[in-house]
Amino acid sequence: MFGGGRIKLDKDLLARVKKYSDIAGYSSVEEFITHALEKELAKLEDAGSEEEIKKRLKGLGYIS
Amino acid sequence: MRVRFALFLIAGLGCGCARGSGGDRAPGKRVIILGFDGVDYEFTKKLMDEGKLPNFSRAAHEGSFGPLETSIPPQSPVAWSNFITGMDSGGHGIFDFLHRNPETLVPVFSMSEVAEGGTTLEIGKYQFPLSGGAFELLRRGRAFWEVLENHGIETTVIRMPANYPPSGTATRELSGLGTPDLRGNYSDFSFYTSKLFAFAGEDIAGGDVYEVDIYDGVVEAKLYGPDNPFLIETEKLASEFTVFLDPVDPVAKIVAGSEEVVLREGEWSGWVPVEFPMIPTQTLGGMVRFYLRSVRPDFELYASSIQIDPMAPAFPISTPKDYATELAKAGGRFYVQGLPEDTKARESGVITTEEFLAQAHIAGKEFADQFPYVLDHFDDGLLFFYLGNVDQISHVMWKVLDPGHPAYDPEVDPKYAGLIEELYVGLDGIVGQALERLSTDDTLVVMSDHGFASWRRSFHLNAWLKEKGYLVVKDPGMEEDPGMFVNVDWARTRAYGVGLNGLYVNLKGREKNGIVPEEKRKALLDEIAAALLAEVDPKTGGPVVTKAYQREETYKDRGELEIGPDIIVGTAKGTRISGQSALGAVGKEVLTDNVDEWSGDHLMDHETVPGILLTNRPLKRPAHRLQDLGQSVLLEFGIDESIQPGERED
Repeated sequence: MFGGGRIKLDKDLLARVKKYSDIAGYSSVEEFITHALEKELAKLEDAGSEEEIKKRLKGLGYIS
Repeated sequence: MRVRFALFLIAGLGCGCARGSGGDRAPGKRVIILGFDGVDYEFTKKLMDEGKLPNFSRAAHEGSFGPLETSIPPQSPVAWSNFITGMDSGGHGIFDFLHRNPETLVPVFSMSEVAEGGTTLEIGKYQFPLSGGAFELLRRGRAFWEVLENHGIETTVIRMPANYPPSGTATRELSGLGTPDLRGNYSDFSFYTSKLFAFAGEDIAGGDVYEVDIYDGVVEAKLYGPDNPFLIETEKLASEFTVFLDPVDPVAKIVAGSEEVVLREGEWSGWVPVEFPMIPTQTLGGMVRFYLRSVRPDFELYASSIQIDPMAPAFPISTPKDYATELAKAGGRFYVQGLPEDTKARESGVITTEEFLAQAHIAGKEFADQFPYVLDHFDDGLLFFYLGNVDQISHVMWKVLDPGHPAYDPEVDPKYAGLIEELYVGLDGIVGQALERLSTDDTLVVMSDHGFASWRRSFHLNAWLKEKGYLVVKDPGMEEDPGMFVNVDWARTRAYGVGLNGLYVNLKGREKNGIVPEEKRKALLDEIAAALLAEVDPKTGGPVVTKAYQREETYKDRGELEIGPDIIVGTAKGTRISGQSALGAVGKEVLTDNVDEWSGDHLMDHETVPGILLTNRPLKRPAHRLQDLGQSVLLEFGIDESIQPGERED
């Protein structure tokens, strides 16, 4: 699973993943999980964009 | 910052004001508090002694006037939180404009945050928000006006700082300092120019510069909003506008949606409503103010930060939710963001001093013009009314009072020598308006959160920590440190500075890469505090730091103490921690002249920058500290009850 890496999922969670990956039209469970993980990572990477944060903080008059 | 659609959906929240069933008050009692940000005690006293503030003097004659001890550190979010809650930072949890997340070491704003947790439904490239996060006020503790409301006393709280989103606990509230613009920022101007390479290579903080082309006398441009919450891929909302340049006269017509405005060079527009299309059926509304700098030879147009439109707020900015709209209908649209004076555009050189003063005057007048309306609708209870114009203009213009300031321009600045005084005289007029409405049984309180001082010398705290061996850099040869601690070697760093007065130990188990064991923390803090106090500025011959407040010894309240800095650095009057150091740059020099336009400040030893307290009658319980004033206000209504339930009273 996932290019050779193995990830353990709770049995109930895996059942829900299977169910909703079918409903959402994903071709496989792997595709669904990959999509979900990429979305979460993108969120974290966006939040961690230091340049964006710095630019915003520098909007405060006290920071030159 | 990404602004989530869910934020817009909660515009209707926050109107559940907690009214008590009281009735145990003296009927008809009225207290008006005028909160004047940054009004300095010494300067006020001087003007009063010279007879230039007759209404201040009239009130003081029957009441009192004196210095008001500010907070540690003397920063507005901290000071106002002390006033609101009667607690110090250890209790209300606001220690600085900037805190840091110990797990990431990234600086963050202290007053509010976007709470996560939203869910969305995705269809194709769109996502449809179902529920989710919202701005959350991070100030802890009960506000003093909530006690009044619990006793059945109506309160109106206009632009109280550190109260965004509005607490929902007053009868009427309008949020102030801490309120962002539509993009979630504190400053976000836009500047459009046809000049090639304008500001090329310059670090423009607080806004963006856009190069535009002119075709047949027409400029097509866009205003940018927050990220489109409906799109899965990040993309900023945009609102197009067109500028038609007059071929002969220095005039232009701006067309934004269905709005048209004609401006001459050097003219400011009123508020122009703008709409940002999100999906075919949804738009996000805001408003903007334009300033036509030039038509020829180069086209230059300034646009303010996009504001939340009080006529139809996209975010909650008042209690009840339509109170902002009521004010806008009564007196016109107004700046909604906290600190609306565009100091960043001035600092970056995008606008001149004259243009900054014109913009700041507009902002100040909008707020002051609301006072008569608010007074007319004030029957009894508490009215708090805030004005921040003096503070923001003093930051940029204080050097005109100090010919010894490194940025003082003897050719230009004498022209503005009377500027600060004129602002104080303007406040005297506001005091006069209040006095006219009050009877002898009513109480007027005029207060400020801190004073002001000339900021001549910059102290680069992280560079000092490096020099003393407490902080180690990865690359000693780095020429331009971009900040955010990119050059810090955490494995060998014992202490670091974040924010405008904060110093933290790189504590094991707390910081992401902490190395200092808890048992060695106190000894390290004692050592650093002693070294800070011993530091001498070779240029002035005086101390750099006059107070090194260790948090456990400084704050009496404890609930939020753990998030605060280990040492709050109180620099000597005239010296301030640099903005670069505040955001994690180390750099090479420890002390430099401050040559920025931002020439006045107060982020120093708190004893050197007291605010003011003026009353029209002796308070039943005199207050000498900002932190005690809320309690004194309660007693004016005959309420002798601690602001914080179960808390001690000093």
